[in-house]
Amino acid sequence: MTEPLISLKQVGKLFGDGLVRALSDISFDVRPGEFISLVGPSGCGKTTLLRIINGLIEPEEGTVSVMGGKPTPGPDLAMVFQSARLLPWRTVAGNIEFVLALRGFERKEQRQRALALLGAVGLREFAGAFPHQLSGGMQQRVGLARALAVEPKVLLMDEPFAALDAMTREVLRKELLQMWARRRMAIVFVTHDIDEAVLLSQRIVLLRPRPGRIDEIVDVDLPEPRWENDPRTSPAFAALRSHLWDRIHAMARDGEALEELAGAFPMEVIEKPER
Amino acid sequence: MTEESAKSSLAPLEAAAATRPGMVSAAELEVRGHKRRRREDTLVIGAQILIGLAVLAGMYLLNATSGKLFMPRPDDVLAQSIKLWSDGTMIRALGESLTVLVFGFVISAVTGIALGVFLGGFRVFGRVLDPFVNALNSTPGAAFIPLIIVWFGLYTEAKVVLVWNAAFFPILINTAAGIVNADRELVEMGRAFGAKRAALFWNVMLPDALPSILSGLRIGAAISTVGTVIAELTMAQSGLGGLLAQAGNRFQMDKYFAVVIVLMALGTTITAALRYAESRIGRWRVSL
Repeated sequence: MTEPLISLKQVGKLFGDGLVRALSDISFDVRPGEFISLVGPSGCGKTTLLRIINGLIEPEEGTVSVMGGKPTPGPDLAMVFQSARLLPWRTVAGNIEFVLALRGFERKEQRQRALALLGAVGLREFAGAFPHQLSGGMQQRVGLARALAVEPKVLLMDEPFAALDAMTREVLRKELLQMWARRRMAIVFVTHDIDEAVLLSQRIVLLRPRPGRIDEIVDVDLPEPRWENDPRTSPAFAALRSHLWDRIHAMARDGEALEELAGAFPMEVIEKPER
Repeated sequence: MTEESAKSSLAPLEAAAATRPGMVSAAELEVRGHKRRRREDTLVIGAQILIGLAVLAGMYLLNATSGKLFMPRPDDVLAQSIKLWSDGTMIRALGESLTVLVFGFVISAVTGIALGVFLGGFRVFGRVLDPFVNALNSTPGAAFIPLIIVWFGLYTEAKVVLVWNAAFFPILINTAAGIVNADRELVEMGRAFGAKRAALFWNVMLPDALPSILSGLRIGAAISTVGTVIAELTMAQSGLGGLLAQAGNRFQMDKYFAVVIVLMALGTTITAALRYAESRIGRWRVSL
């Protein structure tokens, strides 16, 4: 078995001077090239966990190691956010050049690479456009291109498709799978959409809320490549899906803030205000 | 550039839509929109001309009923303007005023932006200096005139200091607020990609603060004009303010009005120029 790329051991995170426990006893590994999803209702600390892996915040308990060391924000880890978070005063190409400059590329090479990456996400002719001139789906594509630009070993994705319409989401999921098949970096994908997690990932870490902790880690053993043979009609997919939903209903039965769960899944997109 | 290419790619769609029966073509819609806007423009400009004429008529009326001390005749004001401009009085006064204004404004812009960036960028300094900045900003600028006279005298230096004192704080406060309120999500994005403090500052926080800095400059410029005239009225009389005082003290209301018109034009020009700069720099913002 290969050495894990990311390793979390008994990670715990407290907020508000230790009054609120956000995460408790989180342990799992991410192997090189693995596509792993963090799934759970709102309030289970998915995004917090992602920020810990990125090194943006530090956990109070446990250890996190990314490629053998303490996680630090940088080119090995690239983040795709729910809203594209593009610099509005820079052009589409300029936004990609921004992260390439952080990585220390020469100015001339920045432009070439930016254009190549925009080509890869089908937005080459929009290189000179400003973000507000693009649709939400196109902006998110630029966000993805920006993350790929730094050639990360790990791609961290925080509900990247949650704010998009269903059709755009479907197209981008497929593109993400194709891109992952080509480049094979590890992907840590946060979502509250069970179907999306089963469709995309090889392994699902199911979290339960208050405090956020691991409920179950499920292997998703569906035939690859999945963009060619859509697994959603297969019995295996249905079985996994219903298993995960059973777990979530069990969480609710365990008295875990029933009303929260009932509303949490469809509401989460609305709760997070878009920029 | 790309905007245009996006537009041109839409052109065939529009053309296709226009060929369908019962539909209004895009060209036709554009003509209609154009006409509507043209009508509105005519209305606005017409109303403005009417108001201008009403003001002139009011001046003549007041002049006829209350005498030229109460209100000069507009044609006398015009005659005085021509005289003051042709004998060089107005040009000299304008030059003196502009010297004070430009020096005061530029110095306040440079110092205000520099300190504002500093206060906004280093949170601890911002917190330490906040009460002092607030106290000085809340004090009416005129309260410092005696002190400025004692420290700097009555001439150009003192006037520049007065203008600086008036314009400095709005620029400082707007700059600091712009930096402090820089979009958190964008800052986090920068950090996630490994941007260090300096890179974050130059590439994310400062550009995000630019609109706020520019509105600080616009307010500062408007206040500079006021400060210049106050300095010229209260210190050694010079420039347009001095001319104003001279004419007013001798009850030469036609001359006085000629100067007021120049001040009006000056203030309007400065504000318009900065508005233009603001719209140029903020052109990436969503146009509504």
